[in-house]
Amino acid sequence: MPRLAASIAALALCLASAAACAGDDELLLGATTSVQDPGLLDELVAAFEDDYGYDVKPIVQGSGQIIELARRGELDVIITHSPGDEQALLNDGVATGTTPVMQNFFLIAGPESDPADVAGADGLADAFARIAASGAGFVGRGDGSGTHRRELATWEAAGVDPAGEDWYRESAAGQGQSVLVANDSDVYTLVDSATFISLADRLQIVELFRDEIAPNVYSVLRLDSEQLTEINENAAAAWIEFITSPRGQTVIEEYGRDEYGVSLFEPLLLD
Amino acid sequence: MDLIWDGLKEAVSLIFSGDAYVYEVALTSLYVSGLATLIAVVIGFGLASLLVFRAPPGRVLALSAFNAGMALPPVAVGLIVAIMLWRTGPLGELGLLYTPTAIVIAQAVIATPVVTALSVVALQSVNPRLRLQVLALGASRWQAGALLFREARLALLAAVMAGFGAAVSEVGATIMVGGNIRGETRTLTSATVLEVQQGDFETGIAFSLILLAIIFAVVGGLTVLQQRRSAS
Repeated sequence: MPRLAASIAALALCLASAAACAGDDELLLGATTSVQDPGLLDELVAAFEDDYGYDVKPIVQGSGQIIELARRGELDVIITHSPGDEQALLNDGVATGTTPVMQNFFLIAGPESDPADVAGADGLADAFARIAASGAGFVGRGDGSGTHRRELATWEAAGVDPAGEDWYRESAAGQGQSVLVANDSDVYTLVDSATFISLADRLQIVELFRDEIAPNVYSVLRLDSEQLTEINENAAAAWIEFITSPRGQTVIEEYGRDEYGVSLFEPLLLD
Repeated sequence: MDLIWDGLKEAVSLIFSGDAYVYEVALTSLYVSGLATLIAVVIGFGLASLLVFRAPPGRVLALSAFNAGMALPPVAVGLIVAIMLWRTGPLGELGLLYTPTAIVIAQAVIATPVVTALSVVALQSVNPRLRLQVLALGASRWQAGALLFREARLALLAAVMAGFGAAVSEVGATIMVGGNIRGETRTLTSATVLEVQQGDFETGIAFSLILLAIIFAVVGGLTVLQQRRSAS
Protein backbone atom coordinates (compact mmCIF):
# COMPACT_ATOMS: atom_id res chain seq x y z
CA MET A 1 0.00 0.00 0.00
CA PRO A 2 2.69 2.60 0.76
CA ARG A 3 4.06 1.98 -2.73
CA LEU A 4 0.65 2.57 -4.26
CA ALA A 5 0.27 5.82 -2.33
CA ALA A 6 3.79 6.91 -3.26
CA SER A 7 3.19 6.15 -6.89
CA ILE A 8 -0.08 8.10 -6.95
CA ALA A 9 1.59 10.99 -5.15
CA ALA A 10 4.44 10.95 -7.67
CA LEU A 11 1.98 10.95 -10.54
CA ALA A 12 0.05 13.87 -9.01
CA LEU A 13 3.30 15.79 -8.50
CA CYS A 14 4.31 15.10 -12.07
CA LEU A 15 0.98 16.38 -13.35
CA ALA A 16 1.26 19.49 -11.18
CA SER A 17 4.77 20.37 -12.24
CA ALA A 18 6.88 18.81 -14.91
CA ALA A 19 10.03 19.71 -13.01
CA ALA A 20 9.11 17.43 -10.11
CA CYS A 21 9.64 14.31 -12.16
CA ALA A 22 12.43 15.38 -14.48
CA GLY A 23 14.70 13.18 -12.32
CA ASP A 24 17.87 15.24 -11.98
CA ASP A 25 19.58 12.43 -10.14
CA GLU A 26 18.52 9.78 -12.62
CA LEU A 27 20.77 8.37 -15.33
CA LEU A 28 19.36 6.41 -18.27
CA LEU A 29 22.29 4.20 -19.23
CA GLY A 30 22.04 2.30 -22.49
CA ALA A 31 24.12 -0.88 -22.64
CA THR A 32 24.29 -4.02 -24.72
CA THR A 33 23.32 -7.51 -23.60
CA SER A 34 26.94 -8.70 -23.80
CA VAL A 35 27.81 -6.32 -20.93
CA GLN A 36 24.83 -7.36 -18.83
CA ASP A 37 24.74 -11.11 -19.46
CA PRO A 38 28.16 -11.86 -17.90
CA GLY A 39 27.11 -9.71 -14.89
CA LEU A 40 29.58 -6.81 -15.24
CA LEU A 41 26.93 -4.14 -15.68
CA ASP A 42 25.39 -4.75 -12.23
CA GLU A 43 28.83 -4.36 -10.61
CA LEU A 44 29.62 -1.14 -12.45
CA VAL A 45 26.22 0.36 -11.69
CA ALA A 46 26.46 -0.53 -7.99
CA ALA A 47 29.93 1.03 -7.68
CA PHE A 48 28.85 4.16 -9.54
CA GLU A 49 25.70 4.62 -7.47
CA ASP A 50 27.78 4.28 -4.29
CA ASP A 51 30.37 6.83 -5.39
CA TYR A 52 28.26 9.41 -7.16
CA GLY A 53 24.79 9.08 -5.64
CA TYR A 54 22.97 8.91 -8.96
CA ASP A 55 20.09 6.53 -9.53
CA VAL A 56 20.93 4.49 -12.62
CA LYS A 57 18.31 2.95 -14.86
CA PRO A 58 20.15 0.49 -17.10
CA ILE A 59 18.32 -0.07 -20.37
CA VAL A 60 19.79 -3.23 -21.86
CA GLN A 61 19.13 -4.13 -25.50
CA GLY A 62 21.09 -5.05 -28.61
CA SER A 63 23.35 -2.26 -29.94
CA GLY A 64 20.91 -1.57 -32.79
CA GLN A 65 18.10 -0.55 -30.45
CA ILE A 66 20.40 1.25 -28.01
CA ILE A 67 21.86 3.37 -30.80
CA GLU A 68 18.43 4.22 -32.21
CA LEU A 69 17.15 5.25 -28.76
CA ALA A 70 20.30 7.36 -28.24
CA ARG A 71 19.73 9.07 -31.58
CA ARG A 72 16.29 10.13 -30.36
CA GLY A 73 17.59 11.49 -27.08
CA GLU A 74 15.94 8.70 -25.08
CA LEU A 75 19.16 7.73 -23.28
CA ASP A 76 21.71 9.85 -21.40
CA VAL A 77 24.86 7.88 -22.18
CA ILE A 78 25.57 4.57 -23.93
CA ILE A 79 28.12 1.77 -23.96
CA THR A 80 28.31 -0.15 -27.22
CA HIS A 81 30.67 -2.37 -29.17
CA SER A 82 29.70 -1.54 -32.72
CA PRO A 83 32.42 0.72 -34.19
CA GLY A 84 30.55 1.34 -37.45
CA ASP A 85 27.42 2.55 -35.67
CA GLU A 86 29.50 4.63 -33.26
CA GLN A 87 31.25 6.35 -36.16
CA ALA A 88 27.88 7.05 -37.76
CA LEU A 89 26.67 8.71 -34.55
CA LEU A 90 29.82 10.87 -34.51
CA ASN A 91 29.41 11.77 -38.19
CA ASP A 92 25.79 12.74 -37.65
CA GLY A 93 26.75 14.91 -34.70
CA VAL A 94 24.56 12.91 -32.30
CA ALA A 95 27.62 11.82 -30.35
CA THR A 96 30.30 14.35 -29.44
CA GLY A 97 32.90 11.93 -28.23
CA THR A 98 33.67 8.28 -27.90
CA THR A 99 36.12 6.69 -25.48
CA PRO A 100 37.16 3.04 -25.70
CA VAL A 101 36.97 1.73 -22.14
CA MET A 102 37.43 -2.03 -22.32
CA GLN A 103 37.78 -4.95 -24.65
CA ASN A 104 37.66 -8.69 -24.98
CA PHE A 105 37.79 -11.01 -27.95
CA PHE A 106 35.42 -12.53 -30.42
CA LEU A 107 35.70 -16.24 -30.67
CA ILE A 108 34.13 -19.03 -32.64
CA ALA A 109 32.64 -21.73 -30.47
CA GLY A 110 31.45 -24.99 -31.91
CA PRO A 111 31.32 -28.77 -31.62
CA GLU A 112 34.45 -30.35 -30.17
CA SER A 113 34.75 -32.58 -33.26
CA ASP A 114 35.16 -29.36 -35.31
CA PRO A 115 33.90 -30.73 -38.67
CA ALA A 116 34.92 -27.54 -40.51
CA ASP A 117 38.43 -27.50 -39.00
CA VAL A 118 37.95 -23.97 -37.69
CA ALA A 119 40.79 -24.48 -35.24
CA GLY A 120 43.26 -24.58 -38.13
CA ALA A 121 41.92 -21.42 -39.76
CA ASP A 122 44.08 -18.52 -40.78
CA GLY A 123 42.03 -15.60 -39.50
CA LEU A 124 38.36 -15.10 -38.66
CA ALA A 125 37.23 -14.70 -42.28
CA ASP A 126 38.99 -17.94 -43.23
CA ALA A 127 37.25 -19.70 -40.35
CA PHE A 128 33.89 -18.42 -41.59
CA ALA A 129 34.71 -19.57 -45.13
CA ARG A 130 35.53 -23.03 -43.79
CA ILE A 131 32.19 -23.23 -41.95
CA ALA A 132 30.33 -22.19 -45.09
CA ALA A 133 32.25 -24.66 -47.27
CA SER A 134 31.64 -27.55 -44.89
CA GLY A 135 27.93 -26.77 -44.55
CA ALA A 136 28.17 -27.35 -40.79
CA GLY A 137 25.58 -25.29 -38.93
CA PHE A 138 26.02 -21.72 -37.72
CA VAL A 139 23.81 -19.62 -35.44
CA GLY A 140 23.93 -15.86 -35.99
CA ARG A 141 22.40 -13.18 -33.79
CA GLY A 142 20.39 -11.46 -36.51
CA ASP A 143 19.42 -8.61 -34.16
CA GLY A 144 21.57 -5.67 -35.24
CA SER A 145 23.82 -6.09 -32.20
CA GLY A 146 27.54 -5.39 -32.19
CA THR A 147 28.27 -9.10 -32.46
CA HIS A 148 25.85 -9.36 -35.38
CA ARG A 149 27.56 -6.46 -37.14
CA ARG A 150 30.95 -8.12 -36.70
CA GLU A 151 29.52 -11.36 -37.99
CA LEU A 152 28.09 -9.71 -41.12
CA ALA A 153 31.37 -7.90 -41.82
CA THR A 154 33.22 -11.20 -41.48
CA TRP A 155 30.89 -13.02 -43.88
CA GLU A 156 31.51 -10.26 -46.37
CA ALA A 157 35.27 -10.56 -45.91
CA ALA A 158 34.93 -14.31 -46.43
CA GLY A 159 32.96 -13.73 -49.62
CA VAL A 160 29.97 -15.68 -48.37
CA ASP A 161 26.32 -14.66 -48.28
CA PRO A 162 24.81 -16.91 -45.60
CA ALA A 163 21.25 -15.53 -45.87
CA GLY A 164 18.83 -18.29 -46.84
CA GLU A 165 21.41 -21.10 -46.64
CA ASP A 166 20.03 -24.10 -44.80
CA TRP A 167 23.11 -24.38 -42.56
CA TYR A 168 22.55 -20.81 -41.35
CA ARG A 169 20.11 -19.78 -38.64
CA GLU A 170 19.42 -16.52 -36.86
CA SER A 171 18.54 -16.64 -33.16
CA ALA A 172 17.34 -13.02 -32.86
CA ALA A 173 18.13 -13.31 -29.14
CA GLY A 174 20.49 -11.75 -26.63
CA GLN A 175 24.11 -12.89 -26.57
CA GLY A 176 23.81 -15.45 -23.79
CA GLN A 177 20.69 -17.06 -25.15
CA SER A 178 22.11 -17.13 -28.66
CA VAL A 179 25.10 -19.18 -27.49
CA LEU A 180 22.74 -21.57 -25.76
CA VAL A 181 20.81 -22.02 -29.00
CA ALA A 182 24.04 -22.91 -30.81
CA ASN A 183 24.96 -25.25 -27.96
CA ASP A 184 21.63 -26.98 -28.14
CA SER A 185 21.97 -27.60 -31.87
CA ASP A 186 25.69 -28.43 -31.53
CA VAL A 187 26.72 -25.95 -34.24
CA TYR A 188 29.15 -23.03 -34.63
CA THR A 189 28.55 -19.48 -33.45
CA LEU A 190 30.40 -16.20 -33.01
CA VAL A 191 30.45 -14.97 -29.42
CA ASP A 192 32.37 -12.52 -27.26
CA SER A 193 34.79 -14.15 -24.84
CA ALA A 194 33.10 -12.71 -21.70
CA THR A 195 29.73 -14.27 -22.43
CA PHE A 196 31.36 -17.54 -23.47
CA ILE A 197 33.49 -17.84 -20.34
CA SER A 198 30.59 -16.95 -18.05
CA LEU A 199 28.50 -19.71 -19.63
CA ALA A 200 31.25 -22.25 -20.26
CA ASP A 201 30.28 -24.70 -17.53
CA ARG A 202 26.84 -25.06 -19.10
CA LEU A 203 28.13 -25.63 -22.61
CA GLN A 204 29.22 -28.64 -24.61
CA ILE A 205 30.47 -26.53 -27.49
CA VAL A 206 34.05 -25.33 -27.05
CA GLU A 207 36.22 -22.40 -28.05
CA LEU A 208 37.86 -23.24 -31.39
CA PHE A 209 39.18 -19.96 -32.74
CA ARG A 210 39.94 -16.62 -31.13
CA ASP A 211 40.29 -13.45 -33.18
CA GLU A 212 43.31 -11.78 -31.60
CA ILE A 213 43.74 -9.31 -34.45
CA ALA A 214 40.53 -7.32 -34.12
CA PRO A 215 39.40 -7.26 -30.49
CA ASN A 216 35.85 -6.54 -29.37
CA VAL A 217 36.11 -2.98 -28.12
CA TYR A 218 33.47 -1.37 -25.89
CA SER A 219 33.23 2.40 -25.95
CA VAL A 220 31.32 4.92 -23.89
CA LEU A 221 29.67 7.61 -26.01
CA ARG A 222 29.01 11.18 -24.97
CA LEU A 223 25.84 12.41 -26.64
CA ASP A 224 25.22 15.93 -27.87
CA SER A 225 23.15 17.51 -25.11
CA GLU A 226 22.67 20.76 -27.05
CA GLN A 227 20.86 18.93 -29.80
CA LEU A 228 19.20 16.33 -27.57
CA THR A 229 17.93 18.65 -24.89
CA GLU A 230 16.32 16.01 -22.69
CA ILE A 231 19.67 14.48 -21.82
CA ASN A 232 20.81 14.63 -18.21
CA GLU A 233 24.20 16.10 -19.02
CA ASN A 234 25.63 16.09 -15.49
CA ALA A 235 24.71 12.49 -14.83
CA ALA A 236 26.15 11.44 -18.20
CA ALA A 237 29.40 13.30 -17.50
CA ALA A 238 29.63 11.65 -14.08
CA TRP A 239 29.22 8.20 -15.63
CA ILE A 240 31.93 8.87 -18.20
CA GLU A 241 34.21 10.20 -15.47
CA PHE A 242 33.56 7.09 -13.39
CA ILE A 243 34.06 4.46 -16.06
CA THR A 244 37.28 6.04 -17.33
CA SER A 245 38.66 6.55 -13.80
CA PRO A 246 41.01 4.10 -12.06
CA ARG A 247 38.09 3.12 -9.82
CA GLY A 248 35.78 2.16 -12.70
CA GLN A 249 38.62 0.54 -14.62
CA THR A 250 39.55 -1.55 -11.58
CA VAL A 251 35.98 -2.82 -11.29
CA ILE A 252 36.27 -3.92 -14.93
CA GLU A 253 39.67 -5.55 -14.43
CA GLU A 254 38.63 -7.49 -11.36
CA TYR A 255 35.29 -8.64 -12.62
CA GLY A 256 35.16 -12.40 -13.09
CA ARG A 257 38.49 -13.20 -11.40
CA ASP A 258 36.90 -14.76 -8.35
CA GLU A 259 34.24 -16.65 -10.20
CA TYR A 260 35.97 -17.70 -13.42
CA GLY A 261 39.66 -17.30 -12.59
CA VAL A 262 40.16 -14.76 -15.39
CA SER A 263 39.08 -11.19 -16.13
CA LEU A 264 36.21 -11.17 -18.59
CA PHE A 265 36.95 -7.67 -19.85
CA GLU A 266 40.33 -6.00 -20.23
CA PRO A 267 40.32 -2.33 -19.13
CA LEU A 268 41.93 -0.02 -21.68
CA LEU A 269 42.65 3.02 -19.52
CA LEU A 270 44.53 1.48 -16.62
CA ASP A 271 48.26 2.16 -16.53
CA MET B 1 13.22 -32.94 -17.21
CA ASP B 2 16.03 -32.68 -14.66
CA LEU B 3 15.96 -28.94 -15.23
CA ILE B 4 12.31 -28.66 -14.23
CA TRP B 5 12.94 -30.74 -11.12
CA ASP B 6 15.97 -28.61 -10.21
CA GLY B 7 13.89 -25.50 -10.89
CA LEU B 8 11.19 -26.76 -8.56
CA LYS B 9 13.74 -27.37 -5.82
CA GLU B 10 15.26 -23.95 -6.37
CA ALA B 11 11.81 -22.32 -6.31
CA VAL B 12 11.06 -23.92 -2.94
CA SER B 13 14.43 -22.92 -1.52
CA LEU B 14 14.10 -19.35 -2.87
CA ILE B 15 10.64 -18.96 -1.34
CA PHE B 16 11.59 -20.33 2.05
CA SER B 17 15.05 -18.79 2.34
CA GLY B 18 13.36 -15.37 2.37
CA ASP B 19 15.53 -14.15 -0.52
CA ALA B 20 14.93 -10.38 -0.61
CA TYR B 21 15.33 -10.14 -4.37
CA VAL B 22 12.66 -12.76 -5.02
CA TYR B 23 10.20 -11.13 -2.65
CA GLU B 24 10.81 -7.73 -4.19
CA VAL B 25 10.21 -9.07 -7.70
CA ALA B 26 7.09 -10.97 -6.61
CA LEU B 27 5.69 -7.91 -4.81
CA THR B 28 6.32 -5.73 -7.86
CA SER B 29 4.39 -8.21 -9.99
CA LEU B 30 1.48 -8.31 -7.55
CA TYR B 31 1.43 -4.54 -7.14
CA VAL B 32 1.54 -3.56 -10.82
CA SER B 33 -0.79 -6.30 -12.03
CA GLY B 34 -3.20 -5.83 -9.12
CA LEU B 35 -3.44 -2.11 -9.80
CA ALA B 36 -3.74 -2.66 -13.56
CA THR B 37 -6.56 -5.16 -12.96
CA LEU B 38 -8.32 -2.72 -10.65
CA ILE B 39 -8.20 -0.02 -13.33
CA ALA B 40 -9.34 -2.48 -15.99
CA VAL B 41 -12.26 -3.58 -13.79
CA VAL B 42 -13.43 -0.03 -13.08
CA ILE B 43 -13.29 0.92 -16.76
CA GLY B 44 -14.50 -2.48 -18.02
CA PHE B 45 -17.52 -2.69 -15.71
CA GLY B 46 -18.44 0.90 -16.58
CA LEU B 47 -18.20 0.31 -20.33
CA ALA B 48 -20.08 -2.97 -20.08
CA SER B 49 -22.94 -1.31 -18.15
CA LEU B 50 -23.11 1.41 -20.74
CA LEU B 51 -23.18 -1.06 -23.63
CA VAL B 52 -25.75 -3.38 -22.05
CA PHE B 53 -28.12 -1.00 -20.23
CA ARG B 54 -28.04 2.01 -22.51
CA ALA B 55 -27.67 0.14 -25.81
CA PRO B 56 -26.02 3.15 -27.52
CA PRO B 57 -25.85 3.32 -31.33
CA GLY B 58 -22.79 1.54 -32.70
CA ARG B 59 -22.98 -0.96 -29.88
CA VAL B 60 -22.20 -3.99 -32.04
CA LEU B 61 -19.23 -2.24 -33.57
CA ALA B 62 -17.90 -1.29 -30.13
CA LEU B 63 -18.45 -4.80 -28.87
CA SER B 64 -16.60 -6.25 -31.86
CA ALA B 65 -13.72 -3.91 -31.08
CA PHE B 66 -13.56 -5.09 -27.45
CA ASN B 67 -13.81 -8.72 -28.52
CA ALA B 68 -10.94 -8.16 -30.93
CA GLY B 69 -9.14 -6.29 -28.14
CA MET B 70 -8.96 -9.51 -26.15
CA ALA B 71 -6.34 -10.57 -28.70
CA LEU B 72 -4.51 -7.23 -28.59
CA PRO B 73 -0.81 -8.08 -29.08
CA PRO B 74 0.93 -7.00 -25.85
CA VAL B 75 4.16 -6.04 -27.62
CA ALA B 76 2.22 -3.68 -29.87
CA VAL B 77 0.63 -2.10 -26.79
CA GLY B 78 4.07 -1.90 -25.17
CA LEU B 79 5.62 -0.22 -28.18
CA ILE B 80 2.87 2.38 -28.48
CA VAL B 81 2.79 3.12 -24.75
CA ALA B 82 6.61 3.39 -24.75
CA ILE B 83 6.62 5.86 -27.65
CA MET B 84 3.92 7.94 -25.93
CA LEU B 85 5.96 7.98 -22.71
CA TRP B 86 9.37 8.68 -24.30
CA ARG B 87 10.76 11.87 -22.85
CA THR B 88 10.65 13.30 -26.36
CA GLY B 89 7.13 11.87 -26.79
CA PRO B 90 3.74 13.50 -26.20
CA LEU B 91 3.55 12.39 -22.53
CA GLY B 92 7.29 12.63 -21.88
CA GLU B 93 6.82 15.46 -19.39
CA LEU B 94 5.33 13.01 -16.93
CA GLY B 95 8.61 11.11 -16.66
CA LEU B 96 6.80 7.79 -16.37
CA LEU B 97 8.84 5.61 -18.74
CA TYR B 98 10.81 2.87 -16.93
CA THR B 99 8.66 3.20 -13.79
CA PRO B 100 6.12 0.74 -12.31
CA THR B 101 3.38 3.20 -13.29
CA ALA B 102 4.30 2.74 -16.96
CA ILE B 103 3.80 -1.01 -16.58
CA VAL B 104 0.47 -0.43 -14.83
CA ILE B 105 -0.67 1.67 -17.81
CA ALA B 106 0.40 -0.93 -20.40
CA GLN B 107 -1.13 -3.84 -18.48
CA ALA B 108 -4.36 -1.91 -17.89
CA VAL B 109 -4.62 -1.29 -21.64
CA ILE B 110 -4.14 -5.03 -22.22
CA ALA B 111 -6.60 -6.16 -19.52
CA THR B 112 -9.40 -3.63 -20.13
CA PRO B 113 -10.80 -5.16 -23.36
CA VAL B 114 -10.73 -8.61 -21.72
CA VAL B 115 -12.72 -7.42 -18.69
CA THR B 116 -15.09 -5.33 -20.84
CA ALA B 117 -15.93 -8.04 -23.37
CA LEU B 118 -16.46 -10.74 -20.75
CA SER B 119 -18.51 -8.40 -18.53
CA VAL B 120 -20.82 -7.59 -21.43
CA VAL B 121 -21.49 -11.30 -21.88
CA ALA B 122 -21.97 -11.67 -18.12
CA LEU B 123 -24.57 -8.88 -17.94
CA GLN B 124 -26.31 -10.00 -21.10
CA SER B 125 -26.73 -13.50 -19.73
CA VAL B 126 -29.05 -12.18 -17.02
CA ASN B 127 -32.67 -12.31 -18.15
CA PRO B 128 -33.35 -8.81 -19.62
CA ARG B 129 -36.92 -8.83 -18.30
CA LEU B 130 -35.54 -8.76 -14.77
CA ARG B 131 -34.24 -5.24 -15.26
CA LEU B 132 -37.48 -4.01 -16.80
CA GLN B 133 -39.38 -5.61 -13.97
CA VAL B 134 -37.43 -3.94 -11.15
CA LEU B 135 -37.53 -0.61 -12.99
CA ALA B 136 -41.33 -1.00 -13.25
CA LEU B 137 -41.43 -1.75 -9.55
CA GLY B 138 -39.92 1.66 -8.93
CA ALA B 139 -36.20 0.92 -8.57
CA SER B 140 -33.82 3.64 -9.70
CA ARG B 141 -31.43 2.97 -12.59
CA TRP B 142 -28.57 2.54 -10.12
CA GLN B 143 -30.55 0.09 -8.00
CA ALA B 144 -31.49 -1.91 -11.08
CA GLY B 145 -27.87 -1.91 -12.23
CA ALA B 146 -26.67 -3.06 -8.82
CA LEU B 147 -29.17 -5.90 -8.89
CA LEU B 148 -28.01 -7.05 -12.31
CA PHE B 149 -24.37 -6.96 -11.22
CA ARG B 150 -25.38 -9.09 -8.24
CA GLU B 151 -27.15 -11.56 -10.47
CA ALA B 152 -24.18 -11.74 -12.87
CA ARG B 153 -21.50 -11.88 -10.16
CA LEU B 154 -20.24 -15.37 -11.03
CA ALA B 155 -19.46 -14.48 -14.62
CA LEU B 156 -18.20 -11.02 -13.60
CA LEU B 157 -15.68 -12.56 -11.22
CA ALA B 158 -14.54 -14.77 -14.08
CA ALA B 159 -13.98 -11.57 -16.10
CA VAL B 160 -11.87 -10.14 -13.25
CA MET B 161 -9.77 -13.32 -13.11
CA ALA B 162 -9.23 -13.28 -16.87
CA GLY B 163 -8.17 -9.63 -16.66
CA PHE B 164 -5.70 -10.34 -13.86
CA GLY B 165 -4.36 -13.34 -15.78
CA ALA B 166 -3.78 -11.24 -18.89
CA ALA B 167 -1.98 -8.57 -16.85
CA VAL B 168 0.24 -10.66 -14.61
CA SER B 169 1.42 -13.10 -17.28
CA GLU B 170 2.41 -10.37 -19.73
CA VAL B 171 6.10 -9.79 -20.46
CA GLY B 172 6.75 -8.08 -23.82
CA ALA B 173 5.12 -4.77 -22.96
CA THR B 174 6.37 -5.00 -19.38
CA ILE B 175 10.00 -5.04 -20.49
CA MET B 176 9.48 -2.41 -23.17
CA VAL B 177 7.90 0.23 -20.94
CA GLY B 178 9.47 -0.85 -17.64
CA GLY B 179 13.02 -1.52 -18.78
CA ASN B 180 13.36 -4.57 -16.50
CA ILE B 181 15.27 -2.52 -13.91
CA ARG B 182 16.30 -4.38 -10.82
CA GLY B 183 14.52 -3.17 -7.68
CA GLU B 184 12.11 -1.01 -9.66
CA THR B 185 10.44 -2.55 -12.67
CA ARG B 186 11.54 -6.17 -12.59
CA THR B 187 8.53 -8.48 -12.40
CA LEU B 188 8.34 -12.25 -12.18
CA THR B 189 7.92 -12.52 -15.95
CA SER B 190 10.73 -10.12 -16.88
CA ALA B 191 13.02 -11.69 -14.26
CA THR B 192 12.36 -15.06 -15.89
CA VAL B 193 13.33 -13.67 -19.30
CA LEU B 194 16.55 -12.25 -17.88
CA GLU B 195 17.54 -15.50 -16.16
CA VAL B 196 16.93 -17.44 -19.37
CA GLN B 197 18.99 -14.93 -21.37
CA GLN B 198 21.83 -15.38 -18.93
CA GLY B 199 21.54 -19.14 -19.24
CA ASP B 200 20.36 -19.72 -15.67
CA PHE B 201 17.45 -21.96 -16.54
CA GLU B 202 16.90 -23.32 -13.00
CA THR B 203 16.27 -19.85 -11.59
CA GLY B 204 14.12 -19.07 -14.63
CA ILE B 205 11.95 -22.08 -13.89
CA ALA B 206 11.90 -21.13 -10.20
CA PHE B 207 10.55 -17.66 -11.04
CA SER B 208 7.96 -19.20 -13.37
CA LEU B 209 6.79 -21.55 -10.64
CA ILE B 210 6.55 -18.71 -8.11
CA LEU B 211 4.44 -16.80 -10.65
CA LEU B 212 2.17 -19.81 -11.11
CA ALA B 213 1.82 -20.13 -7.35
CA ILE B 214 0.80 -16.47 -7.07
CA ILE B 215 -1.70 -16.76 -9.90
CA PHE B 216 -3.12 -19.87 -8.26
CA ALA B 217 -3.40 -18.10 -4.89
CA VAL B 218 -5.10 -14.99 -6.28
CA VAL B 219 -7.40 -16.73 -8.73
CA GLY B 220 -8.06 -19.50 -6.20
CA GLY B 221 -9.09 -16.88 -3.64
CA LEU B 222 -11.47 -15.29 -6.13
CA THR B 223 -12.87 -18.70 -7.06
CA VAL B 224 -13.57 -19.55 -3.42
CA LEU B 225 -15.34 -16.21 -3.11
CA GLN B 226 -17.29 -16.92 -6.30
CA GLN B 227 -18.37 -20.41 -5.34
CA ARG B 228 -19.25 -19.59 -1.73
CA ARG B 229 -21.49 -16.71 -2.73
CA SER B 230 -23.17 -18.81 -5.37
CA ALA B 231 -23.91 -21.52 -2.84
CA SER B 232 -25.56 -19.18 -0.37
